[in-house]
Amino acid sequence: MKKRTCFDAITRTAFAAGVSLLVATGTAGAQKRGGSITVGQELDIPGFDPLKVGVYDTSAQSAAALIFDTLTYRDDNGEPQPKLALSWTHSDDYKTWTFKLRPGVTFQDGTPFNAQAVKDSFDRWKDPANKCRCAFYISGIHDVQAPEELTLVYNLTDPSVTLPATLSFPSPANVVHSPTAWKNKGNDYNRNPVGTGPYILKSWTAGDRMVLEKNPDYWNKGHPYLDRIILKPLPDTQSRFASVQSGEADIIWDDEFDADNILKAQKDPALTVHTYSGSGAQVFAFNTKVAPFDDVRVRQALVMALDRKKMSQALTNGLSRPATNPYGDGSWVKCKDDGALPYDVEKAKALLKDYGKPVDFKMIVTATPRGRAGGQVLQQFWKQIGANMEIEQVDQTAIPPRAFMRQFQLTPWRIVDFPDPSPQMYANFHTGSPVALANYSDPELDRLLEHARSTAELDKRIEDYCAISRLINKEAIWFWTFQNTYYAISTSKLKGLPKLFGGVIDVSNVWLE
Amino acid sequence: MLEFLARRLFYLVPVLLAVSLLTFLTASLLPGDLAYVILGDQATPENVEALRRDLGLDQPIWWRYLGWLGHVLEGDLGRSFRTGQTVLQAVVERFPVSFELMLLAQIIALVIGVPLGIICAARSGGPFDRFMTSTAFGMLSVPTFLSAILLIYLFAVRLRWLPATGYAPLTENPLANLRFFILPALTLGLAGWPGIMRVLRSDMIATLQEDFITLAKAKGLKPFRILFLHALKPSSLTLVTITGINIGHLMGGAVVVEQIFALPGIGRLLLGAINTRDLIVLQGVVLCVACGYVLINFIVDTVYAVLDPRIRHGHA
Repeated sequence: MKKRTCFDAITRTAFAAGVSLLVATGTAGAQKRGGSITVGQELDIPGFDPLKVGVYDTSAQSAAALIFDTLTYRDDNGEPQPKLALSWTHSDDYKTWTFKLRPGVTFQDGTPFNAQAVKDSFDRWKDPANKCRCAFYISGIHDVQAPEELTLVYNLTDPSVTLPATLSFPSPANVVHSPTAWKNKGNDYNRNPVGTGPYILKSWTAGDRMVLEKNPDYWNKGHPYLDRIILKPLPDTQSRFASVQSGEADIIWDDEFDADNILKAQKDPALTVHTYSGSGAQVFAFNTKVAPFDDVRVRQALVMALDRKKMSQALTNGLSRPATNPYGDGSWVKCKDDGALPYDVEKAKALLKDYGKPVDFKMIVTATPRGRAGGQVLQQFWKQIGANMEIEQVDQTAIPPRAFMRQFQLTPWRIVDFPDPSPQMYANFHTGSPVALANYSDPELDRLLEHARSTAELDKRIEDYCAISRLINKEAIWFWTFQNTYYAISTSKLKGLPKLFGGVIDVSNVWLE
Repeated sequence: MLEFLARRLFYLVPVLLAVSLLTFLTASLLPGDLAYVILGDQATPENVEALRRDLGLDQPIWWRYLGWLGHVLEGDLGRSFRTGQTVLQAVVERFPVSFELMLLAQIIALVIGVPLGIICAARSGGPFDRFMTSTAFGMLSVPTFLSAILLIYLFAVRLRWLPATGYAPLTENPLANLRFFILPALTLGLAGWPGIMRVLRSDMIATLQEDFITLAKAKGLKPFRILFLHALKPSSLTLVTITGINIGHLMGGAVVVEQIFALPGIGRLLLGAINTRDLIVLQGVVLCVACGYVLINFIVDTVYAVLDPRIRHGHA
């Protein structure tokens, strides 16, 4: 792939802006307008103010995608496209990004949208006195400047080649908040969010429903199509599925552990199953500083004992897609050789024999039915090669502190779907990072990670990341079981749903047929 | 009577203190904490420490308890760490939902349980009695999460008569409200009637052997009149107590049922607070529920005293 120059970037994005607007206005007549839908989510949403809520879960992100806009969005190829930003350029070192903003946009409370509005919000989060719970997530941005009305500059602490794509996620600090709203509402802003988005929050009853109504002054003329969207938390998996079957909900969140219902829905002509094969994976980290995992033979043996296909059958009726590297099919990192260790029970037994000592260890498992089931399947695989794993059930929220303090031998973790592998790979494997859980340090690995995140050329980065995968797989410091797959089930009348990036159900542009 | 009420009310204070202390201790013993829920699992240990300090989670447990108790005595139950909503507001918002659910469930349980109990007592040992007694045993052993799913499958997915999940406020649309409540209330009611039936049945059998019943029969009164007018009141003392204690079971059942049917009640609030380690909400809600429970049983005791004068004079 050829090197992208600034000029390329400008023309490409400007062209894309024109095209996307053309597409939007050109096909607007074909979609049916009006009507309302109910979205069945997994969780109650706590709020939207980044000061209070450091991170949105997928339920909150799905709501944020309606109330707010981001500077960019990702098309179905995962490429960033203009939304509130029309075009962007970067400095040679990728540490400064300049965005030209869309003119004539106003927030739902009438405040004009401009660079200063974005800067004001950012400065509020960055002010140490405000103790923003989002602090970690904006630590990579040094400051935001507004040199002109519609020119916005991000100064980063580290180079980021894919900032426009990463800004597309509807996360607390990516969505654009009305400064007037948070200035006036103070503590109440958390549950009274105001953005520039296609839907306006009308009412919100905790635990029951959030009612959103069409923004009549939305900048993207002709959008949105639906008059009203109701978001409901439906915490129980079975009754959530029953709700979409019986019509109380038009679309629901689901995951592969609800495999029976997903398979049932795939056969039901009244329902559509939306699937997105994301990047990232469900992963496990060995603590390489404690026995028996201080010996590479033991780690390799355990990884080689895993039959992921069988595991997928046992846990999710075969829906889970086996993973051999941390990137997954949803990532632009594609490797000819990712260095995955083969499934080979005999070799695994030989490695353990070579090691010579009994292999007994504890593995942390989430204290949920699915966590236990996963642990038991692994336990069986390892028993076959003569390794004894004891399951230690731990509450979900207790895993991060254990992981940070390295109080584990083997722990589950997750690499989430993200437009760029860099932030998570760097954090998970670079020497000295708090979540470099394996306690493993290798100058070559560090060099590759540093090079990969500061290089613009895609093919070079892919090379780096494939080399990283080979190194990690060979040393078996972490292993991956399944790729991330995201699901939503809707009535077949619902059309226009984009890919479920990061598991977010973005219904801002859907219509009912 | 007043002295009786005062004495009963006085006993409530240590009970509530014990409940609040116990909740506080249990909640604090839960592994994991809210800081990670708020910050997400990518947060650094420094971020987490800062937030813990900010929330006061780094203080010793007894100090936090005393601080919390002080505020509660001033009428301030605190604010959710997570949403910023006051606990009182959250409870007030959600209380009517749980109350309606429990009330309807109790009515359903009584409507099924009382007549069956009476009929079984009147024909005790007969085939109907034996059939109902074993059915009651069967129903007692069906967990609410199972009957809830079965009811949803039958009435919402198959027949499509009733909604599977959801809620409409009573004040906005009473009819829709009732539609949403039928299945959850039925789920809880089905779990509640066997207890009522069995207690009433055994008390009634005892009553029916008393002299005044024989007299009533001798007078030639109709069996219906004897059973419902003469025998029911003296047989219902245990029933009233059971109904009070049942509130506890109902509350427990409501946690499960509200979760399944997505009703925005106290049970959901409680479960959410536990899952997210929102201790302030958890403590506040448990205290309110305990108060409600204690209060209802206080009322039950009072009703008891009305039903049976021997009790209010303290020499039962």
